[in-house]
Amino acid sequence: MIECLSCGRQQEPSLICAECGAPLAAPLDCFAALGLPRKLTIDLDALERRYHELSRKIHPDRFASSKPKVRDASVRATATLTRSYRTLRDPVARGLYWLEQNGEKLAENNKRVPPEVAELVFEVQEQLAEMQLATDPEVAVERATEIAARRVELQFTMDERLAALDRHFAKWDQPAADKTILTTELKTLLSNIAYLRTLIRDVDRALENAKAA
Amino acid sequence: MSRIFGIDLGTTNSLIAAMENGEPRVIAVGHNGSALLPSVVAIAPDGAVTVGERAIEMEPHLTVERDGRVSAVGFAGGEYGAVIRSVKRYMGLGGDEIAPEDRARYTFADLSGPVVRFQIGKRAFTPSQISAEILRALKDGAERAIGQHQKLEDEKVERVVITVPAYFNDGQRQATKDAGRLAGLDVVRLVNEPTAASLAYGLNKMATGNVAVFDFGGGTFDISILSIKEGIFEVLATNGDTHLGGDDIDRAVVDWLLAEMPDTLKLDRHVWNSARMAAEDAKKRLTDVAETEVVVELPGHSIRKHLTRIALEDMAAPFITRTLKRCELAIADAKLKPGEIDAVVLVGGSTRMPAVRQAVAEMFHREPLCSINPDQVVALGAAVQASVLMGTQGDMLLLDVVPLSLGIETMGGVMERLIHRNTTIPTSVTEGFTTAVDNQTHVDIHVLQGERELAKDCRSLARFKLGPIQAQPAGVPRIEVTFLIDANGILNVNARDERTGREHSVDVKPSYGLTDDEIERMLEEAIDLGEQDLEERLLISARNDADQILGALRKQLGEYGALVSAGEHARMDEVVERLEAARTGTDRELIAKLVEELNEVTTPFAERIMDAAIKLALEKKSVEELS
Repeated sequence: MIECLSCGRQQEPSLICAECGAPLAAPLDCFAALGLPRKLTIDLDALERRYHELSRKIHPDRFASSKPKVRDASVRATATLTRSYRTLRDPVARGLYWLEQNGEKLAENNKRVPPEVAELVFEVQEQLAEMQLATDPEVAVERATEIAARRVELQFTMDERLAALDRHFAKWDQPAADKTILTTELKTLLSNIAYLRTLIRDVDRALENAKAA
Repeated sequence: MSRIFGIDLGTTNSLIAAMENGEPRVIAVGHNGSALLPSVVAIAPDGAVTVGERAIEMEPHLTVERDGRVSAVGFAGGEYGAVIRSVKRYMGLGGDEIAPEDRARYTFADLSGPVVRFQIGKRAFTPSQISAEILRALKDGAERAIGQHQKLEDEKVERVVITVPAYFNDGQRQATKDAGRLAGLDVVRLVNEPTAASLAYGLNKMATGNVAVFDFGGGTFDISILSIKEGIFEVLATNGDTHLGGDDIDRAVVDWLLAEMPDTLKLDRHVWNSARMAAEDAKKRLTDVAETEVVVELPGHSIRKHLTRIALEDMAAPFITRTLKRCELAIADAKLKPGEIDAVVLVGGSTRMPAVRQAVAEMFHREPLCSINPDQVVALGAAVQASVLMGTQGDMLLLDVVPLSLGIETMGGVMERLIHRNTTIPTSVTEGFTTAVDNQTHVDIHVLQGERELAKDCRSLARFKLGPIQAQPAGVPRIEVTFLIDANGILNVNARDERTGREHSVDVKPSYGLTDDEIERMLEEAIDLGEQDLEERLLISARNDADQILGALRKQLGEYGALVSAGEHARMDEVVERLEAARTGTDRELIAKLVEELNEVTTPFAERIMDAAIKLALEKKSVEELS
């Protein structure tokens, strides 16, 4: 139970007081903050509408002339809302959050490249090294052109993995979902995506540097 | 309930605006009824302050006398008094961040501290104190203008929204807030300049779509990308450079003008300023004409050079290129392509340059909008945001972002990002901390802001010590630290012991800027400036507070007397009587205590008045909409 700092009413945690509509600085999970069921499949347009609707009600701009403690509650409530929205809006952040909520996380010390993307990762890394080591400017330009073509391929793979993540989310929402199997599958997908993201970032940086040089 | 005013505290000019009959309007505070107050502050050796046009006249420069002789006039700096221009460039900077060329322009006090100080006469002034003088001039000017215009009872400027460049870091924002406080203003909100501009544009046409705001002013550059949907102005990404503006182009022209001069002359403050004025004038003329003569009169010599628009554009090109690079980054962060931007808005005096307009048009594949005066649009937007904060702007709401990532220094001097740039604010993140050795009683935390990988390449925000922690084996204590960025983009930190649930005091020592104690001292110093002693000043200030609340209450009771119950009225009268008696005495603490008490007694009443006022405003609005 939580007490409203504006009207004093005791109530179940939420972002808005059921009695007087003042913001409540309640500790809430992302789904509860947005008043959504705990489901991984999310309609992004509806999510945004919900976020805007709640923002209109609890944003500090609405409480600029209120008592300091209500103003403070509004800042905290809005911070919770914003963080929840950003987490749920991004499928990867949503997946990682789901793992965390289930007491799991992507192993941080596991530096092994996931086998599904290993071949691609090694090839691109080799090309990057070649480009950076090239002393002949013409060779460097040639490698850069190759890598730029690879960038397209990487993005394609990334989009495909993201689509797979979306399909995967739907499985969780089915009644007979096997949590153990799904957790493993989710971890694999997320670590593939994490690797691809880092790689795409490295490629973009290398291409940027090549362009500058 | 008093109005909230919008202030654009600019590098070159400052403005103040407010809503009038549902429209934002700038208030004429400058010379000859102009809304622009030049952000120039002159401080004489004896401490006398002048702001605006008249301060420009006191800038060190060369002037041609009636008999044809050229002489040096103005405050040359240091013990001779000084004229500070573009003080915004120095906001939030540490002494070690002052460029050598700045040292040729101004005399600085000890540069080893966390805050830059200008040495003027016997005293040293921080940029916040200088900015406070600009704010005070705006406040006084606006109160005077409103008094003449409305012939109503004196309306005071007390609560304000101040705009800051979107790319201002925490220290620069804090310094701006400090300036407000030093000027005796209640800074209700800091608003990002490009966002404010979008509000001014969005007020009439509640458009839906993606908007880019290109804000190129005298000293700063910002680019913000917003998505506007049903009155919600959501910033998607922002980027910029807080040391890039029209000033830089002027300096380039000055370098060209003085290229053949010996170094001693180039560094002379009188010569340099005269050249700067000539350069600025020439730059402005070249907006309309293709070529112009630039003349600087020196003693026994004059510099005459021919400048074409094309040559000026060559000098400006490196700066324009830098703005475009920032635009690319912002568009990418917003996850958009240039073609997906539905409108581009131009803000800031430097967007008057044809070369700038052309570059922007090419970048975004469309003609930029500039229907609202680029010098005024930020102040107008600040007034709109002020009315949002007063609750009189319907469903309009601004969701802004933090421009730079925030993190902490971890082992090996690596910056660990906790809040990423372009995260919507307010936002918070909670991190767990523990001890590394047995019986450790404190944990040191170093907070950083920036995008680089290594702590040493990021800007240090603050260092703080957590503790005292109860002596326990290493790794056992669990302390949760919450980093919260408020709606002003300013960091707040608090810590809680996970086991005991006790709040820890967090002693934050800002790496740059002023501590609360220093602000208090400055407020006292400011009061101490005159002949009267501090005690007497404080007494006068307490009496003024008493007069203010008594006057306001009388007025409110006259207008809204119906909203008070008999019991409440009696209770108020009782405190009023005691305060009126105390006011004639010399016990300032008693006066302050009674003011506080009266404030408390009248708070419910004030809230009811506010509700009534909002209701009235809404009714009025719907009537206007009908007619």
